[in-house]
Amino acid sequence: MNPSKIIATLLIIFSLYSCTKDVDFNQLDDANIHTTYLVTLIHLNLTAIKFLDDFNNEIEFTEESIQAPIANDSKSYLEKVEFTVVTNNTFNRDFTLNIIFYNEFNEPIYYLQPVIIVPENSLELTTIIEIPLEDIPAIYETQYFGFNLKLSPSADGSVISGADTTTIDLKSSVKLFFNFRKI
Amino acid sequence: MRKFILIFFLISVVGYTQNKQVLYDFAGLPQTLLLNPGAEVHNKYYVGLPLFSQLSVQVGFTGFSAYDIFADNGVDINTKIRNAINNYGISEFMEINQQLEVLSGGFQLKNNSYISFGYYQEFNFLAKMPRDIVDLFYDGNTDINRRYSINKLAARAELLGVLHIGLSKRINKKWRIGARAKIYSSVFNANSKLNTGSFYTEEGTNNTYKQHLDNVNFLMQTSGVFFDNSEDLDASYVKNKFLLGGNLGLGIDVGFTHQLKKQWIVTGSIQDIGFVKYSKNVESFSVKGDYEVEGFQLDFDPNSPDDYWNDLKEEFDERIVLDTLYKSYIAMRPVKLNGSVSYSFGQKYDECRFLIDPQLYLNKVGFQFYSTVGAVHSYMAATLFYERRLGKHLQTKITYTADPYSFSNVGVGLSTQLGIFNAYVIADNLLSLNNLYAAKSSSFQLGVNFIIHNKN
Repeated sequence: MNPSKIIATLLIIFSLYSCTKDVDFNQLDDANIHTTYLVTLIHLNLTAIKFLDDFNNEIEFTEESIQAPIANDSKSYLEKVEFTVVTNNTFNRDFTLNIIFYNEFNEPIYYLQPVIIVPENSLELTTIIEIPLEDIPAIYETQYFGFNLKLSPSADGSVISGADTTTIDLKSSVKLFFNFRKI
Repeated sequence: MRKFILIFFLISVVGYTQNKQVLYDFAGLPQTLLLNPGAEVHNKYYVGLPLFSQLSVQVGFTGFSAYDIFADNGVDINTKIRNAINNYGISEFMEINQQLEVLSGGFQLKNNSYISFGYYQEFNFLAKMPRDIVDLFYDGNTDINRRYSINKLAARAELLGVLHIGLSKRINKKWRIGARAKIYSSVFNANSKLNTGSFYTEEGTNNTYKQHLDNVNFLMQTSGVFFDNSEDLDASYVKNKFLLGGNLGLGIDVGFTHQLKKQWIVTGSIQDIGFVKYSKNVESFSVKGDYEVEGFQLDFDPNSPDDYWNDLKEEFDERIVLDTLYKSYIAMRPVKLNGSVSYSFGQKYDECRFLIDPQLYLNKVGFQFYSTVGAVHSYMAATLFYERRLGKHLQTKITYTADPYSFSNVGVGLSTQLGIFNAYVIADNLLSLNNLYAAKSSSFQLGVNFIIHNKN
């Protein structure tokens, strides 16, 4: 067979050979991209003086708040939120930290559960708190987060002194679990 | 809509690369002069059929193919996506190149030199996506101490018209040289290159983690993309920009053909040594800075309440500065290099064994080299080819190319000449024809010319 015939044969084969194997673009409906983002959050390091008023009386509650400008863009994809809180308490007193979500009318709309209990004289203690899927919508209505730190009374009636060097440390981060299922 | 766009993107992966390895030095086609202004062309004059003398649309993606994701093979799509991500390189790129020759013509001078000229429209898009960005989107940032870098993030998009005239001149029996001057008229341009910066999370001092934006230096230059009034963007605007009313630039192609020995030929060319100066509708964006954060330190101080969020935002804006620039800029054209070495053999004899044409060989084999060099991206390709005359009216060329898309790219070209009517069609990546969805790249060019040959 001369080269001309070989080339002509190859061209015919190529042209007849052209095809596609089976593909199914509807599979895209089943696609899930599970992505987890880690964000550093709040931390605190409080000494005894933070729990005393101007007259050196103990303050049972101390409060703080942070504005929460949360965009709605991720609303359809956020499936779970997981807080990790690490505490270290050298006070001989228990602390309780409540984290409350407030809406634009200053109304509490969500209480993070369980509340964070920091036992007296506790070394590094890790608490993981999860916001499940059904409670996620509350996040998107939140205008600010409230932090309410409660100092428990002592068992023996002793009180905190401003000269104490004891501290309560708190470190935290949050994992945001997304499922980008509507590509 | 996003689903449709994704499917379209993945299907369009069955596309093309900017390398025109089959067309290069093929069959004395006038369009070979666009790839090498010093190419041998043996016609008296020619005119390309307006709008149809060369159509070329090119798309390629080195990452994965549509079949990798959508194969109907019983494997869960999420597994296939995961496999595609796992096989993703340090950086992959996507390229689209489209050219439409609007006008094309050429004629031979008395001194055997050849002048060719014309006007073509070209669209280019190239984007390099580093694996770090893909991983950050797909897996998130829970990998502590891993740096997600944008150092390989780059992109270029441009639409322009090119008015050109070239001269191919034989300077002696062995050498033919050529050059082509070009005026670029750009409709729009956007480019981003030489970006730096990374995002990472490490263990913190005051908090569990500290997060960093490190050495961020990102610049995207645009021209003709953003408009104060979108009504300005109409057909007459685009037409005006194409026809020398846009941002203008100059360029030159140079090339040669060297008859090394009687049957050995060496060719080479450099295309698009040039630039476009962008001064109209310029709007560029720059992001620079470093930033680190350990989160909000709560003071629980009722006497001086903090505005934590706004303090953080202000600090971020001070450290990471976003600027909008309206300063003109110059964008260099991506330079393309072509080269070839070929050997011709097999002459044609009549029935009485007389040589029909001592200059005419029926077969040509050789090696070609292609490279594109640009600020956004550079790559190389190597080609082996066999060219064959099939009778008086038909010429064909078969190529085997290794490039960043594939190491087994087989292409074929056909050129026919019936009287003054010339038509050619070129296709690429033929081994993927049994499953087009699995191809990462291929190419075709086609066109029609009216060519008047010398009587001898």
